[in-house]
Amino acid sequence: MTTALRVAPRTAVVLVLASVAALATFSWPFFVPAQPESMARTTEAPLVFVAVLPILLALVLAELSSGGIDSKALAMLGVLAAVNAALRPLGAGTAGIETVFFLLVLAGRVFGPGFGFLLGAISLFASALLTAGVGPWLPFQMLAAAWIGLGAGLLPARLRGRAEIAVLACYGAIAAYGYGLLMNLWFWPFGVGADTQLSYVAGAPVLDNLHRFAVFTAVTSTFGWDTGRAITTVMAIVLVGPAVLAALRRAARRAAFDAPVTFATTPGPAIPPGQGSGLGVRPRNPRRRPDAEESPPPPSPGWRPTTKI
Amino acid sequence: MTDQATADGVGRQTPVTPPDSRSARAGRLPRALHPGAWWLWALGLATAASHTTNPLPLALLVAAAALVVVRRRGDAPWAFAFRMYLILGAVIVAMRVVFRLVFGGGQGDHVLLHLPEIPLPAWAAGIRLFGPVAAEQLLGGFYDGLRLATMLICLGAANALANPKRLLKAVPGALYAVSTAVVVALSVAPQLVESVLRVRRARRLRGAAGQGLRALRGIALPVLADALDRSLALAAAMDSRGYGRTAAIPAGQRALTGGLVLAGLVGVCVGTYGLLDATVPGYLGLPMLIVGLATAVAGMLLAGRQVRRSRYRPDRWRITEVVVAGCGVATAVVMAVAGSVDPVRLYPPVSPLTWPELTPLMLLVVAVAVAPAWLASPPTLAAHRTPRPVLIAPNGTTRSSPKRDTSESEAQR
Repeated sequence: MTTALRVAPRTAVVLVLASVAALATFSWPFFVPAQPESMARTTEAPLVFVAVLPILLALVLAELSSGGIDSKALAMLGVLAAVNAALRPLGAGTAGIETVFFLLVLAGRVFGPGFGFLLGAISLFASALLTAGVGPWLPFQMLAAAWIGLGAGLLPARLRGRAEIAVLACYGAIAAYGYGLLMNLWFWPFGVGADTQLSYVAGAPVLDNLHRFAVFTAVTSTFGWDTGRAITTVMAIVLVGPAVLAALRRAARRAAFDAPVTFATTPGPAIPPGQGSGLGVRPRNPRRRPDAEESPPPPSPGWRPTTKI
Repeated sequence: MTDQATADGVGRQTPVTPPDSRSARAGRLPRALHPGAWWLWALGLATAASHTTNPLPLALLVAAAALVVVRRRGDAPWAFAFRMYLILGAVIVAMRVVFRLVFGGGQGDHVLLHLPEIPLPAWAAGIRLFGPVAAEQLLGGFYDGLRLATMLICLGAANALANPKRLLKAVPGALYAVSTAVVVALSVAPQLVESVLRVRRARRLRGAAGQGLRALRGIALPVLADALDRSLALAAAMDSRGYGRTAAIPAGQRALTGGLVLAGLVGVCVGTYGLLDATVPGYLGLPMLIVGLATAVAGMLLAGRQVRRSRYRPDRWRITEVVVAGCGVATAVVMAVAGSVDPVRLYPPVSPLTWPELTPLMLLVVAVAVAPAWLASPPTLAAHRTPRPVLIAPNGTTRSSPKRDTSESEAQR
């Protein structure tokens, strides 16, 4: 399996720590204590978490891309995110048809966990910008989708053929339900408010709150939206999965992410192969003076005329 | 989006006097503000809204946000998203009230109507549906929902006013690669439509007039392959333009940034736990969380230094930006003051039922919040930028505005 984006050990640790903290921002209703002084916190906690999660997400994204993303991986990220963002409105509005996950799962599978994580986050962000869906929910959606891409990259690498498609389809179904559960969990305290029979009860045993949440999610979405999403994802993976996997693998081969980059004409000792490759923290070509040239803007920089007209 | 844009544009194309002469009289040229200023303003409004459940200031805040949006939005696609946020806010309020209606909660004395009770089986936690509906109960749901909806609508105002692509340019250096990927995604997405049309035309020329799933595969897979090939071409173009160079960072500094990020994240984990577990001492809660976040962000900003990039026409933070952002901060601060002075008016009790009241401080909050509708510089509109018809000046020379022609596509940037 190619890895378009190498995840250094330090990055992995950052990812795990941030994920643990982020999971708490989803599941805090289960753990809120029932002491009087924490009642004030109960109203504050969701707002604090809404503010905290974007920062956590930015940290992880920055860490994953530290040392610079290979331009091929970056272009691939951008293009696949664009495809995902274009696929997303196809399903929106139609009950439960979700067209984002199958490509995310397949791309995470082909390009590795780090790439999958970035793709999930960037896809939803770009899609939100395109369809103007930016709101407090966006970081939570980005993180949930990023976890899906990450998980797809962590599936056993050896599988090929029908077994691979079967595993991916199962994973897609689980991911579809998991995403729905996570987003419901996030929306639960906001959507229902306090005091109804479905609201979380601060200080109640975890199981009790879990029960209430299970009823809430079953009533609102699991049987409709989430099942629809799971069916769409599984069908898409089974029907077009093999062809899409082949196309992605061909692109990965052509991109040759693992090929070492060497500059034969550079005076001085050649860079040992393996050091110049990949995306470790190490700069790719330390011999080149960084200030030798000014970095041009990205391929399509936003610009505007000067205001003095 | 486009039909809305044209529908709105019709009204704007009519002015006889060039619109910028009017704003020039006011001493300000139309320009897009730094997106960060709008976001700070909106976050200030949202913070203020989070401090009250009184429907009167909340409704006034929504009105203030709407007025600023209507007066100061451009005509880019995202500028018309505000309506969607209004609808979403209404949905949230309705949902809160309906949930109270169906699942009960928040009992009160003024029972409006009796609905037949439906007890659910034991697996559903012994919940009963419907039952008596009290006014207090519905009002509580309405207040809560309105607060949340107001906060959402304030953020929607930022969405409509701030240019997301310019915001992406302002991200810290450590997120440069990710923001570049987002920019690539935003630029490629429209090209996909063109790609789909091309593949369909090619299929039709080959006589493949399939329908349904087969046609979908016949179109989707070539489009995907096309997009992947395009990404490789794009990568080559980026490489040839020098993208992806990194500065050589000494090992010590790398270790420092890594240590800062890791230590900060550990702090965040501990702080989150402390925030939720009231048995631990208070300093392990929010203070720990903030310190951890600050440490990690410092590490991230330090790591961003190894990214070297130049900015083409960066957004400057000028006096107007300061004023707009200041309005947001002042809104939040005045509301906090109002809360400490008169908490009862900000959280009108649901039982006993009382009529919500406005205080002068609340009116001050709204006045500060709405000020950017006049203080911010007017937006640049595509209708103004369309090349003006060439005017024949009295002395016979043709007059046009060459500088304006270059700004055609700015609204999309």
